[in-house]
Amino acid sequence: MNPPDKSAPAIPNLLSLRGSRGGARGGRSRGGPGAGPSRRTGQGHDAVIQGTDTDAAVSRLSAVDLGYLHDPCAQFFVQSPSGPPARRLPIINRGTYTRTSGLDRLIDAFLSTLDAESPKQIVALGAGTDTRPFRIFSQQNCHGLIYHEIDFEVVCSKKLRIVKGAPLLSRVLSDASVVPPADPEEASNSWTSEPSNGGQFYCHGLDLRKLPGNEESLTLPGLRTDIPTLLLSECCLCYLSPQEANGVISFFTTQIPSLATVIYEPIRPNDPFGQVMVSNLAARHIRMPTLDVYREAKDQVDRLSKAGFEVVRHMTVEDIWNSWVTQEEKERVDSLEGLDEVEEWQLLAAHYIIVWGYRGDGFSGLAEE
Amino acid sequence: MSDLDRAIAQLRSCRPIPEAQVREICHKARELLIEEGNVVTVAAPVTICGDIHGQFHDLMELFRVGGDVPDTNYLFMGDFVDRGFYSLETFLLLLCLKVRYPDRMTLIRGNHESRQITTVYGFYDECIRKYGSANVWRYCCDVFDYLALGAIVLGASNTLSTSTEPIDEDTEIEVCDQSGTVMSRFPRPMQRPNSAEGQARSPNGGGGGSGDRTGPPGSGASGSSGGSIGNPTGAVLCVHGGLSPLIDTVDKIRLIDRKQEVPHEGAMCDLLWSDPDEIDGWGLSPRGAGFLFGADIVKIFNHRNDLSLIARAHQLVMEGFKEMFDASIVTVWSAPNYCYRCGNVAAVLELSEDESGTGLFARSNGDVGRSDGGRGVMMEGETFVRNGPARRYRVFQAAPQDSRGMPAKKPVADYFL
Repeated sequence: MNPPDKSAPAIPNLLSLRGSRGGARGGRSRGGPGAGPSRRTGQGHDAVIQGTDTDAAVSRLSAVDLGYLHDPCAQFFVQSPSGPPARRLPIINRGTYTRTSGLDRLIDAFLSTLDAESPKQIVALGAGTDTRPFRIFSQQNCHGLIYHEIDFEVVCSKKLRIVKGAPLLSRVLSDASVVPPADPEEASNSWTSEPSNGGQFYCHGLDLRKLPGNEESLTLPGLRTDIPTLLLSECCLCYLSPQEANGVISFFTTQIPSLATVIYEPIRPNDPFGQVMVSNLAARHIRMPTLDVYREAKDQVDRLSKAGFEVVRHMTVEDIWNSWVTQEEKERVDSLEGLDEVEEWQLLAAHYIIVWGYRGDGFSGLAEE
Repeated sequence: MSDLDRAIAQLRSCRPIPEAQVREICHKARELLIEEGNVVTVAAPVTICGDIHGQFHDLMELFRVGGDVPDTNYLFMGDFVDRGFYSLETFLLLLCLKVRYPDRMTLIRGNHESRQITTVYGFYDECIRKYGSANVWRYCCDVFDYLALGAIVLGASNTLSTSTEPIDEDTEIEVCDQSGTVMSRFPRPMQRPNSAEGQARSPNGGGGGSGDRTGPPGSGASGSSGGSIGNPTGAVLCVHGGLSPLIDTVDKIRLIDRKQEVPHEGAMCDLLWSDPDEIDGWGLSPRGAGFLFGADIVKIFNHRNDLSLIARAHQLVMEGFKEMFDASIVTVWSAPNYCYRCGNVAAVLELSEDESGTGLFARSNGDVGRSDGGRGVMMEGETFVRNGPARRYRVFQAAPQDSRGMPAKKPVADYFL
């Protein structure tokens, strides 16, 4: 893995070009062969969905390299066989920044009352190459935190290889090792780490569709049902059928009394922008079955209420940019590239929502958001 | 068939022309453009178009809907390049048509006709991809520097020319679909502005969308352009973005030294970057360049300059066009399903010719030195407003995918996944 080559970004920085005229430009075609995620190498929809994780990792690295986000771990999860990694357009970078900061804010609020005596748990569904556990476990005082990730087995074992191969990562998630299987005849699909700053991390290689209805027979190593738990779905449940997605949520609601959930996904498939979004994603063989059911913010709110969450709130990515990002941060972010896509930004950002809810004890931090 | 006609034919089929020929055409275009003032005078009838952004097949659809060159007299308000996949073919075709039919094709500069913006938003990459070097990009950028900054349309009629169906003399606005079928018509109000009736009849302008930032419901045809039938209309100023706090008369635009890269600030920058907004006076632009300007600014400017309307582009509007501020300014957007992602329709604006001929003589226009005669700023409450031209909007959708026969690269639009 090479760190990103900052000298030849595919999309030159608009602001850094100010004042320079003519001269050599190190431009190269964006999204050329090898630059984008390979979506067609695997079989079927599962491989396509795993490809969306690559897409997200590329977007994250683009936002990190340009200074939107601080995340030294992002570089390890993007393979760039030819040249520097792909750069996203400013509108996508701003969206990646806003989505990440919105989710961070909710998760930080949940963790704000964390200490060794009052432990907490996070379960990230379809986490893929997410770098959030590295960011969280890099902080001090993680002693009371148990963090689970669940994704396809192939994704999880790849993550283990990447962690073991990168000192920066293995310093945070140290002593990563495969969890011994309950049945010695079977291969283990989980690995775990005891982070250097305390707490416990698990990564479970498991098809989420195996969870619904298997509360009795299926145990996730290390999962506790007696502590406040946050269930996170960052563009994950939307790839399942509505029945499967509900089944995954009830796998946790039936076992864990003090539960919160944070779901990030697209909405509004029916307006002109949404129709084109659905059709463009379909052309990439990406289907989001739950989008047909949870079309508007109110549908998402009803969904969580019906699942038993007592307090439910929501914000679109546009709302988050407008209300949660401080003026100072807005100015900092706007100064990074310059954004000439104002109307398009409003359209795009209004089509993504974060909806969250909780029930039971241990969510005083979230209650203030 | 001349080389130029051959180039036009090749570009019409969305195939790039050889580098040497690009160089030659850019050179000829520059010789033409250098003779044009910063503000080109255009006589009606004219079809005014907004952003195209390299959506070549949609430009072909525009020509199908609006009529071909040279049968139709076109005015394009900039942003020919970037974002779409065929910026090169789009810009070169328009440029060849300009060289071939200089009196039937007016091109003015948009904020994307700039070296800096094109390196970020796609045109530079496209040239490298298609030619293997930056030469063609450089030739095109050299042409950008010579494009006019605006245009003044004279002699527009306040009645519409007959199209497919007979039309009442008092029709101020007609909206047609892409096959020319009339979708709606709006009569010219005989009442003064701000009447409830006037406010109620808007062809566009959001129709009450609450998230609508650039115009309130009813801002469309309402109000002030009323007047008696038969008078010539005031002139129409066309500019890519909008107004500038440094520019209070059209003549001041004429004084700009335009033959340069678009600066980051100043009058030339503002004309290409600014947006109208529901504010009083001037405001900071969220784009980081140019300004926001309110209804008061537009009305004072139009009054001082004998304008009945400002036509501009620059902002995506889902319905293809949007009139604001009592029809004193309109946004025209001509890139359907912008970036292959936005789901919007596009529009062009047709102004017909005032056949009485008085329009052209109603005012002396076009020369440096013309001033507002010391009339000063429009006073509060003053109701004199120039009679607006009759307007026909042709609304069209993206060209069907299967019409894109040639390099059938499926556009990939990014989403958050």
